[in-house]
Amino acid sequence: MPKIEVSGASLTFTMRQNKQVSLKEYLVRGLFRRSLNPEVAIHALSDVSLTARDGDRIGIIGHNGAGKTTLLKLLAGIYPPTMGTCNVEGRICSLFDITLGFEQDATGWENIEYRSYLQGESPATLKAKMAGIGEFSELGDFLNFPVRNYSAGMRMRLAFSIATAAEPEILLIDEVLAVGDMAFQMKARARMRELMTASRLMVVVSHDLNTVADTCNRVLWMKRGKVVMEGAPHDVTDAYTQHVKQRAEMMAARVDEADVVKAA
Amino acid sequence: MWKFRHFLLALVKLDLRQRYRRSVLGIGWSLLNPIAMTIVFTVVFSNLLGNGDPITYAASVLTGMAVWGFLRDSALNGCRCFVTNEAYIRQSPIPYTVYTLRTVLGQAIHSLIALGVVVAMIAIFSGDAGVLIRVVAVVPGLLLLFLAAWAAATIAAFATVFFHDTQHLLEVAAQILFFLTPIMYTRKLLDDKQLGWMVDANPVYWLMELTRTPLLTGSMPTLEMCVAGIGVVVALVGLAAGTVAWLQKRVIFHL
Repeated sequence: MPKIEVSGASLTFTMRQNKQVSLKEYLVRGLFRRSLNPEVAIHALSDVSLTARDGDRIGIIGHNGAGKTTLLKLLAGIYPPTMGTCNVEGRICSLFDITLGFEQDATGWENIEYRSYLQGESPATLKAKMAGIGEFSELGDFLNFPVRNYSAGMRMRLAFSIATAAEPEILLIDEVLAVGDMAFQMKARARMRELMTASRLMVVVSHDLNTVADTCNRVLWMKRGKVVMEGAPHDVTDAYTQHVKQRAEMMAARVDEADVVKAA
Repeated sequence: MWKFRHFLLALVKLDLRQRYRRSVLGIGWSLLNPIAMTIVFTVVFSNLLGNGDPITYAASVLTGMAVWGFLRDSALNGCRCFVTNEAYIRQSPIPYTVYTLRTVLGQAIHSLIALGVVVAMIAIFSGDAGVLIRVVAVVPGLLLLFLAAWAAATIAAFATVFFHDTQHLLEVAAQILFFLTPIMYTRKLLDDKQLGWMVDANPVYWLMELTRTPLLTGSMPTLEMCVAGIGVVVALVGLAAGTVAWLQKRVIFHL
């Protein structure tokens, strides 16, 4: 039985302004003067709780930087919680960062192999799927060439084809992906819908409120790392739309005010 | 770890194929460097630093270089581990040590080939077929060596995430350590000058002797060697395990 149990999870990470620090710099600065590259704490998630059982379809909405993707990565086990607990049981398929990188010198076929093994396939189970993945990507003979020579669109197609070939119990999706050309996009959407119905538990992050309201049975609205509202899809999306409209009006009013001040 | 064996082995295979495909001569080309160096050393240094017997000297240097090269390259390539595997790290929560194992396994196979050449050369040039049997006695030493290299690569990989100049500093350290370790010269040379303590304090020396002594002399490693060698491995593995436990939850935020 797939399930997700997150209780009181917080995620704080420290970052430096200049990402890279050298040991030499660290020693010199640490010993002789105050650091010019201070650590900044970022509270990406604070006290988030979420429980999902078999059959749940959960949507997450909110502004950019609200912690939606971070929550998804927490569920995937890539980010560990700083506080609280995160318990996820079941075979996970995560659709984010899928185009991040391939083995550049290996062929398309070989990369299908590596990624699939990473997703938990074994040579026996992969054999049956291999042809299907290749066919879905529509890359044809290009699959025999090193990925180095692929265009960005071709890489995306390959990544999408591999990632969606798994039969997940838990599906984690970040935004609706724009994959390849028009024709492939339609195919990708169809595949996504198929996956959404096939998976037993789904968490999707999206800005498309209509899709969220239609496909999900519960929606979370996140703001600055906190869950502001959780409930039935339409209730939450309506509240969110209201909030966005109010904010837009407030901004417009402020601009008007500024214009008046300038004119005077 | 066992769950990811297919992933790991497929990538190791890829690494090796790329390493050997890049040149026309394939495997031979990448072994040319140590062999050429040994020939130069043998001609120039065997009288100066060895005991005047070129074949014994060459065998000793080649074995030493194979072991040394394995440790050095494991640690140095370990530095780039998390960067080259970032795509996988950001997608799946699998143990970080899988990625360092990918690097070290590739190096190990490369070094085993180099060691095989040494054994073959000893057998041919000194007409000593006994070396082929002595290979068996080397196995425990090689296993310990492998563990040490894996631990070193893991520590280096984690250190690089936090200090990006780790590889550069390691290269400098390796250069120094190379001259401090009896690879091109024999231990006796330092003992004669009352500098034996320098060798005793060198962990690489103990790791190296566990392989070199049984392979070249046919005698089992002394108790002192075994204790020191195992001690070094336990310390390294302990340090690596501590590093993993301490930093594994923080690495992802610093990549």
